[in-house]
Amino acid sequence: MQGIPFVSFVDFVVNNPDQGRRGVEGRVAERVALEGQAVARASGSVDVLVGIPALNQARSVGHVVERVAAGLAKQRDRGRAAIVVVDAGSRDRTPEAVPQTAEGGLRPQVVRLSQASRGRALLATLAGARQASVRACAIVDAGLESVSPEGLERLLTPVLAGEADYVSPTYSHPASEGTLTTNLLAPMARALFGKRLRQVVGHCLALSPAMAARAFSSMDGETEVAERAVEVWLPLEAMASGSRVVEADQGRKVMDPGLTPPDLATTLVQVLGPFFGLLGRYRGVWMEGAGHSLPLPHRGAAPALLPPAAGVQVERMIKAFRLGLKDLAPLWEEILPEETLQQLYPLGLLAADEFRFPPDTWAEAVYAFAGAYHERRLPRDHLIRSLTPLYLGRTAAFLLEARETTPERLGELLEQVSCAFEAAAEHLRARWR
Amino acid sequence: MRDTWTEILAESLRGAGQRLSAVAPRLLAMLTLILLGLAAAWLARRLTVRLLRLARFDQSSSRWGLTAGLARLGVRQTPAVLAGEAVFWMVFLVGLLLGIEALEVPTATGLVTMALWFLPNVLVATVVMVAGWLLANFLSQAALIGAVNAQVAGAPLIAFAVRWLVLIFAGGAALTQLGIAREMVLLAFGIAFGGTVLALAVAFGLGAKELAREILESRLRKRDEDQDPVSHV
Repeated sequence: MQGIPFVSFVDFVVNNPDQGRRGVEGRVAERVALEGQAVARASGSVDVLVGIPALNQARSVGHVVERVAAGLAKQRDRGRAAIVVVDAGSRDRTPEAVPQTAEGGLRPQVVRLSQASRGRALLATLAGARQASVRACAIVDAGLESVSPEGLERLLTPVLAGEADYVSPTYSHPASEGTLTTNLLAPMARALFGKRLRQVVGHCLALSPAMAARAFSSMDGETEVAERAVEVWLPLEAMASGSRVVEADQGRKVMDPGLTPPDLATTLVQVLGPFFGLLGRYRGVWMEGAGHSLPLPHRGAAPALLPPAAGVQVERMIKAFRLGLKDLAPLWEEILPEETLQQLYPLGLLAADEFRFPPDTWAEAVYAFAGAYHERRLPRDHLIRSLTPLYLGRTAAFLLEARETTPERLGELLEQVSCAFEAAAEHLRARWR
Repeated sequence: MRDTWTEILAESLRGAGQRLSAVAPRLLAMLTLILLGLAAAWLARRLTVRLLRLARFDQSSSRWGLTAGLARLGVRQTPAVLAGEAVFWMVFLVGLLLGIEALEVPTATGLVTMALWFLPNVLVATVVMVAGWLLANFLSQAALIGAVNAQVAGAPLIAFAVRWLVLIFAGGAALTQLGIAREMVLLAFGIAFGGTVLALAVAFGLGAKELAREILESRLRKRDEDQDPVSHV
């Protein structure tokens, strides 16, 4: 795979003469703008840009590019399209794994960033979409092995037809997959923003140029923060700004995690940190009360929640919860209100097969953590890491319930969680005031 | 008899008056210096608190865990106010010593010079101790959470050990800065620190075989988790 026309940034960004005179934020914003220019230049003048941010995904990037190219080939009548792989400094020769030509004669381009950060690659793709004056931009994670030509079409069509500013994916999955999304991110986003978005972090999305511009203007002056939070920032900005949000079915999700998948506590820090952090930015929207939440328009088959996969070790999760309850109690006392703690202590005494973690207790605990994050009760990294045993307890209870429930009624379990978050949202509002 | 008594009384009063007139200016100088010190201390306290609040010191302290640490000790004042109090007492102490020296009492001579020479060391030692205390809190909390998340039994013991190792290190550094029995402190610190580390290593290897096994098992479990069908995002 030698000879791919790389557009390198290292050369023309590092020796920027103005860098010394500007602040960190200025430098980051400037570099992102330059990286966006490179993405725009690599894509050329096109109607549809598909950006594929990649970090250590040599195993899957070739396959993803092929599938995306097949999807674009199917939609050739909608104008010219380009695929740009934005590599964030991979160490596993990801750029070399990108095929030189793909279906329909498309020649995928590779832009290499000097920064090893997946968020930065996404931000650069977004900047590229804004600068390239495209009609629609899709962003597909280089690890999303399950991306399909039909799925890509469902993502892009609402934007190209002028029906949506932001298209979020939905996936059919077993109850044991995406438990952070189903038990925290989606219900909390629904309770606060009044929109029933099923995937907050979706690994693929489509947006209009107007949405890309709006997202960038909302990140103005905070590009450095946006780099860490962009995956969460985009859907929250779309919901908070009243943009037209549509969901599109993507079938079953299969991800290649890259070279070193992070541990659970780090995953929580990476996802919940930005999520809790952005609540402060959008408080003007959710403090007023979202009212009754509304479902979003959906393209394709409705996503199905399937019974949990076999081999899930719920007992280990319960053990982790009990250990947390015993050893982290002094920390949780600084975060959780007395009433929530009183509800949690008896849960530690339940036998594994009778273990329960009521959704309302869980919702109150999560809001307390979000409030404590805002108030900086503890160093933020510690605060979110200390949520891990609680999250594992709630996941264990959810999976036990899912095992005992018929497949037709699995959706009701999620609805219960969402209702609990909606009912307890006032706690967060009161605490924030 | 009466004349003698009167003379003695007059003589005593005259003597007392003469002594008082000799001491009075010094007393007055002492009082003035103490009052000036008090005023300067009050001003310095206000200025310190105001500057620290402008620099958002309380918010930063909250972020560093200083406020929570103080609250755990039952201290209700904000860190900026506490720093203001410290500055107040330091400036007032200097004023007080200047006042005492103004009395020209032989035993008090050189007090100010000594205090002014010692003060920077006290300041540095205080900063070292506060920083050590903050670091000890931070690291012990990180160790506690990390150990619990790795499902290691005895996480509070690990956190306790981390906290005291850092505190002993900070205490040793502060005492060395103060120059208090430097050789003895260095020796005691070396013995205490090395001894603690050795004791922990021996205890971990022999006495806490179960804990060692738990840690190794949790490490291996981590590899198993990668095969776990639960995915979170």
